[in-house]
Amino acid sequence: MSKREVISSGNDLAARAAVDAGCKFFGGYPITPSSEVMHTISDLLPKIGGACMQMEDEIAGVCAAIGASMSGVRSMTATSGPGISLKAENIGLAFIAEVPLVIVNVMRGGPSTGLPTRVQQGDVLQAKNPTHGDVKSIVLCPGDLAECYTETVRAFNLADRFMQPVFVLLDETLGHMHAKAELPSLQEVEEGIKLRREFVGDPADYRPYDVPQDEPAILNPMFKGYRYHYTGLHHGPTGFPTEDAEICEKLIERLFKKVEAHEDEIESYEEYKLDDAEYLVVAYGSTALAAREAVNRLREEGVKIGMFRPITLFPSPDKKMKELQERFGNKVYMAELNMGQYVEAFERATGMHRDEFVTHFKANGRPISPAEMVAKIKEELL
Amino acid sequence: MSRIIMRFTGVGGQGVLLAGEIFAAAKIKQGGYGVKTATYTSQVRGGPTVVDIQLSDEPVLYPYANDGEVDLMLSVAQISYDQFKKGVKEGGDIIIDPNLVTPSDEDKKRWRIYEIPVITIAKEEVGNVITQSVVALGAANTFTRALDDDLLVETMLSKVPPKVHEANKKAYELGKKYALEALEKGPLK
Repeated sequence: MSKREVISSGNDLAARAAVDAGCKFFGGYPITPSSEVMHTISDLLPKIGGACMQMEDEIAGVCAAIGASMSGVRSMTATSGPGISLKAENIGLAFIAEVPLVIVNVMRGGPSTGLPTRVQQGDVLQAKNPTHGDVKSIVLCPGDLAECYTETVRAFNLADRFMQPVFVLLDETLGHMHAKAELPSLQEVEEGIKLRREFVGDPADYRPYDVPQDEPAILNPMFKGYRYHYTGLHHGPTGFPTEDAEICEKLIERLFKKVEAHEDEIESYEEYKLDDAEYLVVAYGSTALAAREAVNRLREEGVKIGMFRPITLFPSPDKKMKELQERFGNKVYMAELNMGQYVEAFERATGMHRDEFVTHFKANGRPISPAEMVAKIKEELL
Repeated sequence: MSRIIMRFTGVGGQGVLLAGEIFAAAKIKQGGYGVKTATYTSQVRGGPTVVDIQLSDEPVLYPYANDGEVDLMLSVAQISYDQFKKGVKEGGDIIIDPNLVTPSDEDKKRWRIYEIPVITIAKEEVGNVITQSVVALGAANTFTRALDDDLLVETMLSKVPPKVHEANKKAYELGKKYALEALEKGPLK
């Protein structure tokens, strides 16, 4: 199947991907640097019988998107860090009630209002724990324009598979950069769509939350005669609230196990020029654009260096990171546009403390350039 | 052409972003890679704005210009000129609007600086200040010889409303004419 070549931006591609993946509803509130996601989708959805609703604020935006998803359609919201903070409470509802939802966060400088028009990767740990209580988050992080499209498509399939919110972390650079991207054919995208499971049988036997301990709830689309109850409270097999200790324990355990038991379906990463490498670069998102160029520049000078780029940030690829650490020891350089958020995941997976390898953090709203990376690597790693 | 890096700078509201998009799209149409990445402030108008444009036959990975690698910078605001000039390579070209930007003597030694009154041309000769980004487009392409004029004009016209096609064609031609004159005259001493 032939690829499609487009000239576009990351935000525009995330919106197009949503529509191609079958999204029929967008609820949100515009915020820099994510506004173009809503701009594009507000143009596309009405043309295919979908709807885009600009609500009165971010909270209402995510609520509308969750409501649409409860009714059975694929649904999305997009925002930036401050918007996620506002949406946090209702994101928790989507986790406990098991409502699939794609949440695009185009990261900007934080905390608070921060640096609205500038790049940062400061919401990584927020995406891991986006709400109060225990949740097992799924976080995808595109590393180039094409992936802004393909990872958004994947997010929809994962949301339906695991019946929970899935985060797509873009950042200002990827969201706004404008260039050529090669996308999979529409046919390939459509053939890859895997919608949420539906219960078929006597409505009297329908118990949506009565599922195996490593599987998500089965929530049928509304208006088909299958009755169930949505709540943010702990709930039993039919969805009605309960405080039964055993049921509550099983529920929270299942919300974790449904993801943990299937991490191989979620895991995704890229290994770039690692075959003969002696030094390891770890980077993700737009920082990986610079890291890739830094690797190429250093290779031109004869340095055997390669890059590991997690695409699924959470669940983190712990086994892979441990394997790499065993191979490279402390010959590791890790760069991110924050004060070391993903380094935490790397430390946990490898047992190596950040003082033992080279870290390069920046959180002033500016990207780390390939030249800066090369300089730091030469100075501290080689 | 292996790689040409241009940087357009101004202040928010001047519309310098569009020229970058046109360059990138035209290069891709011709075959190759074009990337446009803008940086601006949260001020709606008046904040320093910069657009980096990279045109290359090879894939462009990092979307911003590395400091010291810009071949040509065009600047129509002092604040942006001061902030972003360090990106221009040693001996590289800088086009300034002399009514809005004053370079230091040191700058004149470090770079080849040319004067083209981009805003005045758009305002007075084309009759529409919004066409300044197209005047800049014509001037920049004349300096860098990055792309075929016809292809660039065709791409530009596809991105502006039909009712302003004539004005923008004129703007492009004037940008080209003034650039040739500036080149003829040579850089500031």
